[in-house]
Amino acid sequence: MKINAKDVASGVFLILLAAVGLWLNADHALGTARRMGPGYMPMLVFWIQLGLGALVLVLGLFNGPDPLERWTGIDAGMLVVSVAVGTVVWQIAPMFGEFFTGTYNAIGLGMLAGFLVICVSKGWRLLGFICAAMCIFGLLLEKGGLMLALTATIIISAMAEPQHRRQPLGVLGLLVFLLALCWWIFIKQLDIRVAVWPMQY
Amino acid sequence: MDLIGNLAHGFAVAFSLQNLLFALIGALIGTAIGVLPGIGPVATISLLLPITFGQPATTAIIMLAGIYYGAQYGGSTTAILLNLPGEISSVVTTLEGYKMARNGRAGAALATSALGSFFAGTVATVVVAASGPLLTSIALSFGPADYFSLMLLGLIISAVLAQGSVLKSVAMVVLGVALGLVGTDVQTGQQRFTFGIPELSDGIGFVSVAMGMFGIAEIILNLERPEAREVLKTEVGSLFLTKEEWKRATPSVLRGTLVGSVLGILPGGGASLASFGAYMMERKISKGRHLFGQGAIEGVAGPEAANNAAAQTSFIPLLTLGIPANAVMALMVGALIIQGIQPGPRMVEAQPDLFWGLIASMWIGNVMLLVINLPMIGMWVKLLQVPYKFLYPSILVFCCIGVYSLNNNVFDVYMTVLFAIFGYMCNKLKMEPAPLLIGFVLGPMMEEHLRRAMLLSRGDVMVFLQRPISASMLAIGAIALLAMMLPNLRKGKEAALSG
Repeated sequence: MKINAKDVASGVFLILLAAVGLWLNADHALGTARRMGPGYMPMLVFWIQLGLGALVLVLGLFNGPDPLERWTGIDAGMLVVSVAVGTVVWQIAPMFGEFFTGTYNAIGLGMLAGFLVICVSKGWRLLGFICAAMCIFGLLLEKGGLMLALTATIIISAMAEPQHRRQPLGVLGLLVFLLALCWWIFIKQLDIRVAVWPMQY
Repeated sequence: MDLIGNLAHGFAVAFSLQNLLFALIGALIGTAIGVLPGIGPVATISLLLPITFGQPATTAIIMLAGIYYGAQYGGSTTAILLNLPGEISSVVTTLEGYKMARNGRAGAALATSALGSFFAGTVATVVVAASGPLLTSIALSFGPADYFSLMLLGLIISAVLAQGSVLKSVAMVVLGVALGLVGTDVQTGQQRFTFGIPELSDGIGFVSVAMGMFGIAEIILNLERPEAREVLKTEVGSLFLTKEEWKRATPSVLRGTLVGSVLGILPGGGASLASFGAYMMERKISKGRHLFGQGAIEGVAGPEAANNAAAQTSFIPLLTLGIPANAVMALMVGALIIQGIQPGPRMVEAQPDLFWGLIASMWIGNVMLLVINLPMIGMWVKLLQVPYKFLYPSILVFCCIGVYSLNNNVFDVYMTVLFAIFGYMCNKLKMEPAPLLIGFVLGPMMEEHLRRAMLLSRGDVMVFLQRPISASMLAIGAIALLAMMLPNLRKGKEAALSG
């Protein structure tokens, strides 16, 4: 048997998502074909998706081989660890202060922690740093202002590229250039409604 | 006469200082991202969407359109000088264009591509202007059932023509439609799949999906591949064509324009399909076909004319029917809806400034692009020397600010992160993201038309087969799907799409 692992995984993913969708859709009234309720279209869509997913899965058992990229033990382990760390941080974040209650800051902190932890494994490092850079932007922007958020984002995203780690001066130049550029475009020209400098207490 | 009057009105709109300025900005940005490999029009337009909110709708669309066809000009520069496609639509240009550059005719190849694009762009402008109102009057007789079938056809064709497995592309379309279900049900006001998150009651943010899957995921994937960019050592050389080159290129440009205009209108078509189609045709029927592989000018002229023509004619289904033909057009729908304009057949009447202004600006944009690309070619070669390690943090920063300023809510930033991971996963599993985006945009519209059609027909599904327009759309869709099951055609598509 020539298994196409990519197709099998795609099929499993589609089926799982469709199953969850159908389960959630149980809350919505179906209505009739003439007068469709809010649940009718989702029902159709998720059943079609389920069927297609099954087809992709079954055909994937024969039309390979097309293996997935190799995962090292560390990659797999760190995925589990980082999801766990992220979830824990998210749940305990409200204890760190008022900033983390009632908004998306708690989940943002959880995601940031998860992405930084996953950078330990080589396979996830690029994804981890880029996503972490975005998360820290979300966390810092409203209280820390645009300049602080951008600085943190640029420094974390630069860590994804090994050359930057060897030449920190290049990153510094990039940082100054981007800060000036973003200030000119977004504050001076477009005047988006956002704090530029850290908020004062 | 009416056409000329309307076009005159369009030029009056397009020649306002603001619209001229933004057409130029669009053309410049388009050329820049076209030149740079690793960042395409889909990512760029989704990145700039939030910035366009503050502008009038016409100005916004003029700029975004300029990015799309500007990218077709810029993409060829990288293809010819570096043997790397700046855009997917210029993949085939690398085959003959780079060979021409190796033969010392880089300047001639660049000039052919720019002049061919300009000619094709001019013709395509006329095609859009002439066919727009015509198709619109037909579209006004469409009922809900016809609309539903037409959208279904668009989805099927975009899946059939996408790269890779047709089955998986269809599944991605369906997944896109499923994502489009999230939010408030229009008719009953019930919240669907929102998990009680207020930010989701208007649906998943379109920009988050597009920017995550096309912008951020692309950055991660580009970083995974080691950079292999080497600027051509030889000089660009003279931009002037010899008499013989003129003679060989002209018929190819004409054929390319024709192929591109037709393939652009097709649902699921667009610039990349057009350039592949034109290349295949030139290799088969042009006079210089025996020279292919040694730097045949026909292999540059045809595809480059075709991709620019298609980039413009792909606006036709959007402007007349409100149906996006490809992922870029899906973004345009998003831009229009955010501006409060429902794309569809009533746009010509309700928004004449936008409709005719956009068409006129396409021609103006092409004139600008000719100037931007030919005399200023040295500047773009310099841009190619900016390494990706400095580019990607810049792209990331712009994404962050752009996505936040959509609603001034950090929720959108985190949503984009999730879709970046999803897009990365899709790439690893060879699932095409472009059909998903089209499904995501068309899904809510399809549901509305489906429900309306079924209400009108009192629950009778046969209405889709009884109405002639609807029935023929469904028949074409079925044929397209069945045709892809045939092994011969499938191989042909794979060959065409892999160059």
